[in-house]
Amino acid sequence: MEFITFEFLVKTAIILLVFVITLGIAAYSTLAERKISAFLQDRIGPNRAGPFGLLQPLADAGKMFFKEEFIPETSSKFLFILGPSLAMLTAMMASAVIPFGDTLQFGDTVINIQPVEANIGILYIFGVVSLGVYGVMIGGWASNNKFSLLGAIRAASQNISYELAMGFSIIAILMMTGSLSLGDIASQQKGSFFGISWLPSGTNWNIFYQPLGFILFCTCSFAECNRTPFDLPECESELVGGYHTEYSSMKLGLYLFSEYVNMFVAGLVMSTLYFGGYNYPGVDFVAANFGQNIATFLGIGVLLGKALAFIFFFMWIRWTLPRFRYDQLMNLGWKSMIPLAILNVVFTGGFIMLKEMFFS
Amino acid sequence: MVQNLFYFLTFLTLLSALMVIFSKNPIHSVLYLILTFFTISGHYILLNAQFLAAVNIIVYAGAIMVLFLFVIMFLDLKKESEQHIPALAKVAGVIAGGMLLVIFVAAFKSMQTITPDEASFNSQIGLVTTLGKVLFKQYLLPFELASVLFLSAMVGAVMLGKKEEGERNTF
Amino acid sequence: MLSIILLSVSGIASLFLGFNKSRSLLMPATLLFLLVALAVNLWDWNVPFTLSSAYNNGMMTVDKTTIVFSAILLVSALLVIPFSQNYIDRPQAQPAEYYAILLFALVGGIMMTAYDNLIMLFVGVEILSISMYVLAGSDKRNLRSTEAALKYFLMGAFATGFLLFGVALLYGATMSFSIKGIADYTNANVGNLSPLLYVGIVMVLIGVLFKVSAAPFHFWTPDVYEGSPSLFTAFMSTVVKTAGFAALYRLLAVSFTGLYDYWAMSIAVVALLTLVVGNITASHQHSFKRMMAYSGISHAGYLLIAVTAFQNTSQDAILFYSLAYSVATIAAFGVLILVADKQQGSEDFSAFNGLAKNNPFLAFVMTLAMCSLAGIPLTGGFFGKFLIFSSAFAKGGLNWLLIGAILMSAVGIYYYFKVVIAMYIREGKTEKIALTGLQQAAFVLSILLTLLLGVVPNLFADLV
Repeated sequence: MEFITFEFLVKTAIILLVFVITLGIAAYSTLAERKISAFLQDRIGPNRAGPFGLLQPLADAGKMFFKEEFIPETSSKFLFILGPSLAMLTAMMASAVIPFGDTLQFGDTVINIQPVEANIGILYIFGVVSLGVYGVMIGGWASNNKFSLLGAIRAASQNISYELAMGFSIIAILMMTGSLSLGDIASQQKGSFFGISWLPSGTNWNIFYQPLGFILFCTCSFAECNRTPFDLPECESELVGGYHTEYSSMKLGLYLFSEYVNMFVAGLVMSTLYFGGYNYPGVDFVAANFGQNIATFLGIGVLLGKALAFIFFFMWIRWTLPRFRYDQLMNLGWKSMIPLAILNVVFTGGFIMLKEMFFS
Repeated sequence: MVQNLFYFLTFLTLLSALMVIFSKNPIHSVLYLILTFFTISGHYILLNAQFLAAVNIIVYAGAIMVLFLFVIMFLDLKKESEQHIPALAKVAGVIAGGMLLVIFVAAFKSMQTITPDEASFNSQIGLVTTLGKVLFKQYLLPFELASVLFLSAMVGAVMLGKKEEGERNTF
Repeated sequence: MLSIILLSVSGIASLFLGFNKSRSLLMPATLLFLLVALAVNLWDWNVPFTLSSAYNNGMMTVDKTTIVFSAILLVSALLVIPFSQNYIDRPQAQPAEYYAILLFALVGGIMMTAYDNLIMLFVGVEILSISMYVLAGSDKRNLRSTEAALKYFLMGAFATGFLLFGVALLYGATMSFSIKGIADYTNANVGNLSPLLYVGIVMVLIGVLFKVSAAPFHFWTPDVYEGSPSLFTAFMSTVVKTAGFAALYRLLAVSFTGLYDYWAMSIAVVALLTLVVGNITASHQHSFKRMMAYSGISHAGYLLIAVTAFQNTSQDAILFYSLAYSVATIAAFGVLILVADKQQGSEDFSAFNGLAKNNPFLAFVMTLAMCSLAGIPLTGGFFGKFLIFSSAFAKGGLNWLLIGAILMSAVGIYYYFKVVIAMYIREGKTEKIALTGLQQAAFVLSILLTLLLGVVPNLFADLV
């Protein structure tokens, strides 16, 4: 058992912690969604289960577990169960390479708060996200219902279309940072705003260099999470319930839940790529005056805060904007987003070249 | 440890590759093919080529196979619609395939494996920096010309797919 | 080398020209692009232009052989394009795309003639093939064209699999993608070669032989050639075949000279089989176009004899024969396109009945093309066959193949003259067919080339 080292145990603990945090945040996102929708529509929202309705997610989960489990007669049973499992699995896998914080130092041991340090972290996320569509497709097909199938096919075409623009906006980031590792990308944003030395550290965020890239990436992550205005796969006015029409009980719960997990991961990725990750203004000041560990813990909190802000943004959009029509969605994806993303790559390359010519 | 992992992955690769062929249901075939791509990515990781592993997943499992699944779902192939293959073709296929197998077995049996020199072997050879240097220095010309290939295929796809004037959508 | 870059750029330029509503500009522009590419290509004759090693890295060579092969490809394309007039005049045509893809296909063809690295060969084969799959299906409303594209694509993809697998095995055996590196390996390890090498050679040969439609890998040819629009059939049966043979001969000559005994017999058998299948089947076709498809197969057989002979003269013979064959085939297809257009698309022999009465020029062109393909003296085809047979004769030990080939040439005369008989002797009504200036020029050029090749072959024989 030589592989059970101290580092192994620490990493296992971090992974478990991330797992629990992800599930917890996703669970309370469901409550937050209902509360925010209520706020935006001038209602009260769920307030019966516990103080301010705080036990509502537990009540929902209990309901999901005790509902009748229904499997359509003619479907492939194995695939029918595989669908929601895959959706949840791919949603949970993505957070494995996110750098949640800087290093912690206890005496001589240095702990890096990142579940897995992969030198291709961003590609890993991209790959896992691209697999997310399988859960929807397999579930939709195995339901043996034409509305489910249509929902599944919509999901597939939507994901493929928006993955391209997403990939291009990531490429622009990669060209700037020169690294595929999310850890590197996060730590590179530690400097001060545009490198101006008298401004506080931890503000050199990529969003200031890549505003267009961020807008594209953000739009694409809406599409990848199947959130309004891109929620055509489950568009109830046309498709009953979309790909999960035939699902009930916890299998439906997994589908709905994976959407919130995806939102959380998308928030984390966007914060890491564009909004400085675990960095916050004055990070060096905190580290110098209160110690590295305090600064790191604060960083973890800041990152989670940023992710939660993105979740709020997702919900805000959902309860504000109407849904696209299908051809509008495709036109936006192929005729606006991809050309813009390519332009962004070209301009980024041009700026990098000019910078190297004149400032080095 | 690594060796056992290798054997396990290889077993899984071969098994899922065989299941691609033997599955009656085309959807199952596609799913097994996706599994095959995953195990092949596992092999890449064992070879310390994470970039290739990730790209293999993104491009093949994440995009191409989704399109496969997409098309097969649209076509709605049923087991019954499988075409009848005449017996003669089956026999001919078995003989030809068997001969190929015999040749391969003979070739691989008498093959001596080349082991890399451990002293000079660069364990970082599969990483993206090395790959990029090879691609953009040594193989720059074929890399650039591959763009002509994609451009040609893309122009062709658009040309064949574009709706003609007066053409009706049939589905 | 420069011509590749030029052709890629001009392909893109042709796409941009497609924005223009007027279609009349496209064909002259494409011809201009090709002429410039040809000029640039020939410019390298005395001082081969190679990119600095930073870009090239031993990926391709420009020498006199590759220049001549590329020139044949470009001349073939130049001769084909004037006959696209009818095809692009259809209301649903997309000429900019056709021309762009043709230009891209030529990039692939030139890569196949000049590659030094199997990766380049593979990319070249793929560029050429994928362009051809698309063009075969470009007549979208025609079921036959769609069928041709699908068949060609499925079979071609399968053959590409063989090619790629072969390349992988060759790499596994020799640790090199470079054809010179493979040659170094085979020379250094005589008698101790990896068995993977042998399997790899066979796989690569299967892949390439498929592309040149040699029997028993020819099954796709008749349907694809017949179903595709005639314009692209002409392109396919000339450019693809020439590029395929250039690639085949280059691979064998550079990498596997030392293994002649290993591959020669298989190629010889394939050659004989190709000749027999091509000629015998061609002799009982009703459709002229299908006959031309089988004739294409049989000419692959003749060219394979030259590969088998593997003499110093073989390469010249292949060059000469490819040129003669390409010119004659394009002339024949040119006449076919014009005639079929007037005969409600009929491509049978009967469509040619009585053509000579009102269109003596077309009938003459067709007769000359048929004579050249059949190998009648005073035409290019005769000297092509003569060079090939004499190289095989010089090799010795291939008499059985030669006898078969000569017998099959006799069969060839029978079916090539069916159309001549139809034109001059059979009764039929054909109105006068109007030719555009470019088409006339293409016909005159092909007549001149065929006659020049036949009367003063020395003019061309010393080229390389």
